[in-house]
Amino acid sequence: MKKHILALAIASSLSVPAMADVRINGFANLVGGMTSSDDRVKGYDDDLTFSEDSSFALQFSGDVNDKVSATAQFIARGNNDYEVDMEWAYMTYEVSDALSVSAGRLRVPLFAYSASLDVGYSYHWITPPESVYAVSFSNVDGMRVNYGGFSGDVEYNFQFATGNTSNDFELGGQTAHLEGKNALVFTAEAIYGGFKVRGVAAQAEITIDSPLLTPAFAQLSQISPSLSDLLAVREDRGAFYGIGLEYDAHDWFVMGEYTRVTLTDSFYPGEKNFYVTGGLRLGQWTPFATVESSDMNTDLKFLEKTAAFPAELQPAALQALAGTQLAVRSESYRYSLGVRYDVEANLALKAQVTRIDDRVNELDDAGLFRVGVNYVF
Amino acid sequence: MKKALSVMAMALSLSLPALADIAIVVNPANSSDISDDNIKRIFLGKEKRFSDGSETQPVNLKEGASRDQFNEMILGRSSSQVSAYWSKLIFTGKGTPPKEFTTDADILSHIASNKNAIGYVDAASVNDSVKVIKTL
Repeated sequence: MKKHILALAIASSLSVPAMADVRINGFANLVGGMTSSDDRVKGYDDDLTFSEDSSFALQFSGDVNDKVSATAQFIARGNNDYEVDMEWAYMTYEVSDALSVSAGRLRVPLFAYSASLDVGYSYHWITPPESVYAVSFSNVDGMRVNYGGFSGDVEYNFQFATGNTSNDFELGGQTAHLEGKNALVFTAEAIYGGFKVRGVAAQAEITIDSPLLTPAFAQLSQISPSLSDLLAVREDRGAFYGIGLEYDAHDWFVMGEYTRVTLTDSFYPGEKNFYVTGGLRLGQWTPFATVESSDMNTDLKFLEKTAAFPAELQPAALQALAGTQLAVRSESYRYSLGVRYDVEANLALKAQVTRIDDRVNELDDAGLFRVGVNYVF
Repeated sequence: MKKALSVMAMALSLSLPALADIAIVVNPANSSDISDDNIKRIFLGKEKRFSDGSETQPVNLKEGASRDQFNEMILGRSSSQVSAYWSKLIFTGKGTPPKEFTTDADILSHIASNKNAIGYVDAASVNDSVKVIKTL
């Protein structure tokens, strides 16, 4: 089915020569990597593999008229067996120079690099810092409003996005499914000279299906359906806050983002994530360093609720309460050093070594070495 | 301040004698005030109107010494950085980079026949069909 859509899109873009203004852009990221010794990191192990972070994409955009344009992006990711997915498909209406409205499947502007998350050429890393960027949804089916302009020397941009999302993500080492409904995302950004500051606030009604945790919730619901409901993530309000700062002096740059994720009425621990990165631009070379952290290591929630249970049920209730929360508890730091080399204005080579320091499970400490080629056209 | 900058720019251009002068040119009918900041914003797709309200249509030379020099001196970025900048906008549907032309002559004839066009060429190529608003 997906392949048919791609074939159709290509066929239609080829068979409409009259629509002269169909722009075709694309990008390719070929990334190979391996871990030190027996460590495993994402899909990497101690054999060289190219399938984890490699991807290839084509984007078609065309102007329907002066005000309306259509954009579709198809991407084939190595970690999805290079199956072609329709990543984005939306139409944009330019209300004015300052204001535009897009509708369809589009990227949620949660992070500084959300928009070009997949375009390795647009940043210095091999991939944006996972501690911050590994959120479970990046696209919504919905709409986005962009408003931007200048006030004197200050450039400002505001975005509002709303929609629904459905995605798989990794939780406690296993694949889980996330549904996000009625997501609301506000972003504000100001740029003055080399300074950029960015803030984002978002919320959605979240439902998480986790094969890892379902048995525990089922068990708990036999003792207390209400406690089981409280722990499970069923249309619970999830909140996301982020702030980003950047200073780019041309010869060097430094930037960082801090994000906070909460799913208060559930087993899900609060997340606090950040990264700080900086680099030098020495002609074609950009050496850089990054420190990042993901912290889901919070105090256990709802322990006081067990007091309401008869004494003989308390151990079982406590076990379910603590067990579900401990299963996903994590805290790690990552330290990376790398270099980007610009071969020409649409081709870059990169190498990056990352040390992962897991504060909850030392067995997950790991080293990862990756090299990549990024191309855009 | 501006004088200091232009002295610095001159010092820079003197220390790089291999570089030719670059002229930034518009259609002779274009009488808008265009500052360095305006030029920068126009070529980064951030300013879509001239001061008289007409639409800006920047055009680029294809990759080469003139474009590198323009990018460094006006946009304050290397050509690779400029292309990384556009790759962000293209893949968000937020912008389209300036049209590209191969030679100075192509740029000049395009600008001569398009009232809203703005571009740059080697200062030695300039002729009467266009108006020079700045020379680097």
